[in-house]
Amino acid sequence: MLEQYKKEYSQSVNQYIVVDLDGNILESDNVIFPDVVGKNLSDIHPFFESVHSALLEPNKRHIFSCIHLTNPENQTIITDIIVKTFDGKQPPLVAILDLTTHYDNYQTTAQVRNESVINSQILELKNEYLQEKEAFKNAFIANFSHELRDPLTGILTFSDILKKTHLNDEQLNYLRVIDSSSTYLKQLIEDILDISKIEAGKLDLVISPFNIKQLLEDIQSVFAIKAQQKGLELITNFNDNLPEIVGGDALRLRQVLSNLLENAIKFTEEGTVTFNASLNQIRAQKASIHFQVKDTGIGIPEDKLEDIFTSFTQLNNSQAYKGAGLGLAIAKHLVSLTHSKISVDSTVGEGSTFSTNINFILDKNQVLKSKKKDVLTPPKSNRKFSILLVEDSEITQLSILKILASRGNYFLDIVTKGEDVIPRIENSEFDLILMDIKLPNSYGDEITKLIRKMPEREHKKIPVIALTARVMKDDLKRYKKAGINDVIQKPFDENTLVSKIEEYLK
Amino acid sequence: MKISKKIVLIGHFGVGKSSLIRRFVENTFTEDYKVTIGVHILKKEVTLPKSNDDITLVIWDLEGNDDITNTRPSYLIGTNGFLYVFDMTRPATYQSLENDLDYIKDRYPNIPLKVIGNKKDLVTNDFIKQNKDVFGRFVDFYTSAKSGTNVDDVFTNLAEAVIKEAKK
Repeated sequence: MLEQYKKEYSQSVNQYIVVDLDGNILESDNVIFPDVVGKNLSDIHPFFESVHSALLEPNKRHIFSCIHLTNPENQTIITDIIVKTFDGKQPPLVAILDLTTHYDNYQTTAQVRNESVINSQILELKNEYLQEKEAFKNAFIANFSHELRDPLTGILTFSDILKKTHLNDEQLNYLRVIDSSSTYLKQLIEDILDISKIEAGKLDLVISPFNIKQLLEDIQSVFAIKAQQKGLELITNFNDNLPEIVGGDALRLRQVLSNLLENAIKFTEEGTVTFNASLNQIRAQKASIHFQVKDTGIGIPEDKLEDIFTSFTQLNNSQAYKGAGLGLAIAKHLVSLTHSKISVDSTVGEGSTFSTNINFILDKNQVLKSKKKDVLTPPKSNRKFSILLVEDSEITQLSILKILASRGNYFLDIVTKGEDVIPRIENSEFDLILMDIKLPNSYGDEITKLIRKMPEREHKKIPVIALTARVMKDDLKRYKKAGINDVIQKPFDENTLVSKIEEYLK
Repeated sequence: MKISKKIVLIGHFGVGKSSLIRRFVENTFTEDYKVTIGVHILKKEVTLPKSNDDITLVIWDLEGNDDITNTRPSYLIGTNGFLYVFDMTRPATYQSLENDLDYIKDRYPNIPLKVIGNKKDLVTNDFIKQNKDVFGRFVDFYTSAKSGTNVDDVFTNLAEAVIKEAKK
């Protein structure tokens, strides 16, 4: 470095100028600005116009660093300029030091540094903007989906109720259309909510013991019918050595496998759909299970294999295949939560094979607990139960009223406003409360907190089940903290509602 | 009599100080960013519209600094007027605006100072309204060196203030 500095400074060129207090040049060498004697400093460069005041202060030394001047050849030189004044007897000295080479190097460094800082500030701003946009989108999706759920609950439950009335064949056919359309709409809303949860990083697995063989058989029975309706054959191969009870997220596993099977059936016009499940290995109390869904459908071009896992992507844009293109994106993410991947092999015109290996927990304690739970059956009772429904949506009120009335062993009391809940509880005896979360001017979880603080012990212990579309991880934590015992997600069907109520009224 | 006044442009780097001067003196603009090191000095003679005074503005284009207290004091000797420039698209360049203005006013209490929100071409009027808590309190001019919006007005307005101060 020292040598570099020496080299740079040895190239420097200095000019010394003696001036009077008005800046008139008395003496000068001719190194940078020749023939300046008799002129004024301000004739050399505008810089000197602004430093006249520095000449008037005696016994001062001012250094002006990195001053850009223009020499007589019209070139820019970068200089340090020293202005030294003495007492009244001695005229001031102006020294111009040409340090162009040195400052050029500094300029290069400063250029890189400043550009880098500015670019990172701009990137940060863009990132903030994108995050705000993303948060707005997720909030919009969550709110919009929530608003769709109330009317959809009405459609689903009243379709169920209508099925049990005396209908002729034509009416039943119409009802099937309503039923399948609303089921599809429900699935679509759930997929959109799942995608928004995934993008917000709020989708987590809930691990608990379940019977995997039972789950596979359930899936098989659902999709065998769907395949048959389309003239396809569903072939299943579930290995006998599969464990029975495993620890995992049964709901999400069902979702992944259902999405793969749904797609296989959708994009296959003739032939078969094969659904395989086999045990890879058991190691360290974990079972790795291989799942495969194979079809003889239209297949996927090789260059599009990655695209199929992107949200809202459906390769075949013709109207022949309905769907929002969310299923595979959701399945891919759910599988990634188990630290695994979905692989796909496909040949256009011959079909596709989707495969994944998923690890499940094999914990003896969990298995025993689960088996014990499996053999328990709820005791039957002829007792009538009193339920308080806190709900402002008339459709949901009517749906629940009809469902519970058809069962014959429930009394239902309804309040529509949060402020009416506590007085109603104080004046009645309820066995269970169904609590909407988003009420006019209040929230169900806040009301539950008040219930839990009531002085009467019986009131504090009434089971509270939330009815809500808001079931993000943070929401569930909040409900639990408020004292809510369980959650029924909107839109719900008759079975979900009744089985959850019975669980708490055993 | 020929009047010459020193105007200093101050503010963070990359806010457009050099571009404003280039637009005012040469009526040109370039998108290329070239960092200023040290100081560039240009001058321009103007006739002030109100007083009809002829004045030579010696304009000092100081290198940008994110900490105004680091400005070399020698650069500010003999200053007659300040233009404080920030970039409306980069909050980092106006986050310390109030402190910076206090710093200048404390040390140079009688020297006219105008505050400029630059790069107006890159923001909307709504954006300016949304940030009125900052911009509305301090800003004298919203400028665009690129389009030339308000650039001449800034310099002549400051020159008027400088002359007015000099006549006190």
